Amino acid sequence: MTLLLVVILVVKIILLISILMGGFAYTTLLERRLLGFMQLRLGPNRVGRWGLLQPLADGLKMAMKEDLMPAGADKFVFRMAPVFSLFAALSVDAVVPFGAPIHLFGTTISLDIANPSIGLLIAFAFSSLGIYGIVLGGWASQNKYSLLGGIRASAQMISYELAMGLSILGVLMLAHTANLEGIVLAQKQHGWFFIPEIIPFLIYYTTAMAETNRTPFDLPEAESELVAGYHTEYSGFRFAMFYIAEYINMIAVSGLAVTLFFGGWLGPAFLPPIVWFLLKVGVSMFVFIWVRATFPRFRYDKLMSFGWKFLVPVAFVYFLGTAAFVSGVL
Amino acid sequence: MVGIIIVAILAIGASIGVVTARQPVHSALYLVGNILSLALLYLMLKAEFLAAAQVIVYAGAIMVLFLFVVTLLTAGKEERELPEDLPGQRIVAGVLSGLVGVVFAVLAIKYPGPVIKAPLPSHFGNLTGMGRLLWGPDFVYLTAIAIMLVSAALGVMVLNPPRKRRQIEAGDSEQQKSQTSPETAKKEREGTG
Repeated sequence: MTLLLVVILVVKIILLISILMGGFAYTTLLERRLLGFMQLRLGPNRVGRWGLLQPLADGLKMAMKEDLMPAGADKFVFRMAPVFSLFAALSVDAVVPFGAPIHLFGTTISLDIANPSIGLLIAFAFSSLGIYGIVLGGWASQNKYSLLGGIRASAQMISYELAMGLSILGVLMLAHTANLEGIVLAQKQHGWFFIPEIIPFLIYYTTAMAETNRTPFDLPEAESELVAGYHTEYSGFRFAMFYIAEYINMIAVSGLAVTLFFGGWLGPAFLPPIVWFLLKVGVSMFVFIWVRATFPRFRYDKLMSFGWKFLVPVAFVYFLGTAAFVSGVL
Repeated sequence: MVGIIIVAILAIGASIGVVTARQPVHSALYLVGNILSLALLYLMLKAEFLAAAQVIVYAGAIMVLFLFVVTLLTAGKEERELPEDLPGQRIVAGVLSGLVGVVFAVLAIKYPGPVIKAPLPSHFGNLTGMGRLLWGPDFVYLTAIAIMLVSAALGVMVLNPPRKRRQIEAGDSEQQKSQTSPETAKKEREGTG
């Protein structure tokens, strides 16, 4: 019996990582094609039909490239930084439930790797570790541009993490649990939480964009000022790891947004739950790409004052309001 | 038990790394390793919330601020050995800390703590349990710590005022207006000059 459980766990882990890697590969293609259409051009469409084999070609190119290391670099930290980035990005997804529990081989299999009672906090703990990859990558390169990118990343991510934490507290209080499966089930009873919590959702989504360093918050890698920011000196597969981590982070924050605000796997019964979940995540990814094609980059001081003077107070006031509502004061 | 010993060795190894590492950034990294192994220890002792809080607060926020400062200050600096003020202090410190460790170990073996056989209270270590403690019997301490932290933050604001107020105060004490035109002063205040 325990052997079966171990086998199921290993299969789930392998499946999750391959889904995430596949999701990453085709998100890059989707992003390039969509950006192309939004800018009135075609995007990559030569490799395979509609460019469907483009990710494969990109992957091969990355793997074949020479692995460069700057002469003054701190070798160990330089090698470890992308690994740390990717590890943190992958681990966040371990607690996200991808679908309703299914019944197979006489046991109930929940579609997440782990289901701790404080799943939300575990997800936050891992995502807060992701920043080390960026800061250390920037520092270990011993390059001014990389260092500036890393320092910017640390300041930006700390500032926005605060607003992000405040924005999800309302959901936690409405659901009376920090267990992600419990949050989804609570939305089955009370309706999806984005209706009462629309302002925290918008704050969460904005901060999620900042946490994943996407435009308009891509100051750590601002190519017009910092060459490529923290990954200027990285090439070949180490660069690919940073790149994969960014996209998997996108998938992770989208998955969390769907779980917290949009009912997770819930949806009308004509499609299986996991399809609903993936569809919602897909919509969220589309919005990420759309925003990238639409908005210019923030100026650094505006970014900071937006985070501290607007997002944090608004999230805090809404959090107090939700607390008053839940406790019955209002 | 074996797991706890392994994690404890990891934690001690990391903390030795903190004081022996030559590079400040390496020290900071060892400290992160120490924090993570402490979180693992909490997790093994069924204190889930404490483990998550340890990682989010210490590893995710405080150590990132540390790294922010350390990377900014040590960038491009050559490693340089300064002459020691107290010759032989490292050896003495090592011997002393070893002695203290031995004393602690002897005491722990000679006077073992009571073995608690009772089952853990319900909701031990999770959000509900922590909430009931913090907002129940420990509410006074929670408020006291909150007041202390807020006053510390306010203290920083008072000791390190923004440029605008510093300029006004300097102007008041020296009874002289700045030579710059009002427009330049405004630009300087906003940092857009």
